Amino acid sequence: MEALRNMLVMIELELRRLWHDRTEIYSRAVQPILWLAVYGPVMGRVRGIPTSVPYTDFITPGVMIQSTTFVSIFYGLMIVWERDSGILKKLLVTPASRYSMVIGRSMASGVRALFQALIILPVALIIGVHFIPNPAHFILAFTIIFLSSGGFAAVSVLIASFMKTRERFMGIGQAIVMPLFFASNALYPIQMMPPILREFSSINPLSYVVDAVRGLLITGELSNIILDIVAIAIFDTIMFVAASLSFRRIIE
Amino acid sequence: MELAVSTEELVKIYEGKVRALDGVSLSVEPGKSFALLGPNGAGKTTLMRILTTQIRPTSGKASVFGFDVVHEGSEVRKLISYVPQEMSVWTDISGYENLLIYSKIFGIPRGERERVIEEVLEHMGLIDVKDDLVRTYSGGMIRRLEIACAMLIKPKIMFLDEPTIGLDPGARKSVWERLNIFKREHGVTIFFNTHYMDEADLYSDEIAIINRGRIVARGTAEELKRSLGGEMITLEMRGNYNQEIIQELRSLSSVLDVVSEDGRLSILVRDAESTLPQLIDLVRNWASVGRISINKPTLDDVFLKYAGERLEGRGRIGEIVHVRRMIRRG
Repeated sequence: MEALRNMLVMIELELRRLWHDRTEIYSRAVQPILWLAVYGPVMGRVRGIPTSVPYTDFITPGVMIQSTTFVSIFYGLMIVWERDSGILKKLLVTPASRYSMVIGRSMASGVRALFQALIILPVALIIGVHFIPNPAHFILAFTIIFLSSGGFAAVSVLIASFMKTRERFMGIGQAIVMPLFFASNALYPIQMMPPILREFSSINPLSYVVDAVRGLLITGELSNIILDIVAIAIFDTIMFVAASLSFRRIIE
Repeated sequence: MELAVSTEELVKIYEGKVRALDGVSLSVEPGKSFALLGPNGAGKTTLMRILTTQIRPTSGKASVFGFDVVHEGSEVRKLISYVPQEMSVWTDISGYENLLIYSKIFGIPRGERERVIEEVLEHMGLIDVKDDLVRTYSGGMIRRLEIACAMLIKPKIMFLDEPTIGLDPGARKSVWERLNIFKREHGVTIFFNTHYMDEADLYSDEIAIINRGRIVARGTAEELKRSLGGEMITLEMRGNYNQEIIQELRSLSSVLDVVSEDGRLSILVRDAESTLPQLIDLVRNWASVGRISINKPTLDDVFLKYAGERLEGRGRIGEIVHVRRMIRRG
């Protein structure tokens, strides 16, 4: 109960911040738009990648999720910043439990991520990406994005607990997101990858998220959806526990 | 009577090397305003972070209103509120929104939130700016907002880490007047860290002086000053002087203590007027005197006596560094 309440409070905080300053959402939308508007059509012409749908359609979920993962991972940066300022110290001295703080903050990043994903939708529509027009699919897909963003934010809390300065974290953040992105099924089907990458891709949480969202929004291929959701749930749980345990390190 | 704060032989060693606290034993009575006075790096913040359950002591015991800070941390956190030294509000939302978020974290019931928030805004004089982004606030306003957050729950004890650091005198006075009213109205105990002697002097019921992780003296400001038992004659010396002069001065019956630093001799005497001629005669044999001043004891003198060094010099540089850091981070 307490965890749920704190989660809602942290989500409210994020919404209020977003309301006051939306520039970050717009500026972060530039990169994914480039992927969809430039990279997608050009690579699509090459026709080197066998996909069941047009290539830009194929990469749309991946680009969306790469963008939300960036948001989540850099959320840890905010926590490092809060450690530098007194906010984290003050939060930890309130009656709220540490673990509800970690989960609350992580899920709050899911909100930012959702907005980030939503802003890509109209752009994709203009470019001509075909979505499956089923509201239930959209709701489930965005729920999955929301929950997996929480997990990635927990990853960043975990890393933030080892990195004590912002500068160090900036580099690490990049070094995590890009490999996850390229070693996933976001830009090409897993079958095309060399065997080692294929192995890695099968333990890459991003692959499962992309697979689920692609199935729901683009291809309608839902045979793996249960596996995807279970994988994401396991990933979230492990990361929440690990992040909560390491949280103490951030303040000391 | 149950003590608001009690510590026994508290030791904190960081990373097996830095001895931040070196056996601190303290007690604070409820309803009092207690100042922990010392230079930066003396261990003030470490002690406060242990008392507010953020970090654990290496050894020793500490309790807040009878609850052990290590084993009963969650009980302690229900009773206290805390304002850290660094900025602790979100600057990208309004003052009112900060209070709203904190009131929810503290679990203040929905029906009471609006009233409580209005009350603390009123109390800290922030009503007119409550809907402005905190980014646009002055340093004093930010501090008042942070203290307002700490007032949302009526805590039994407030921990304030350097509550007026970097504020101009007017803003400091305003912060303290409001804190004192709150303390009187609600019987709150205030435990604050400071390196401003006048702040400890004016706003505390009791002071403990901390230096290098140890409590070197404690009492009310008056008691501490009286404990010096005399007046301070300061001689600013021209050029170098032999350290033996100190022994010579100490041998005078009217001289209580002598400390030499930065080309100055600080001499504690029972009565300045009658001792001065004798002093001058003696000192002339050794060196030449530039300026002479006579002062009633201040807390700085108290600090000098008990810690063997002056508080101000070290404090100032540290403060500038700190304030810069705050600005950069803000």
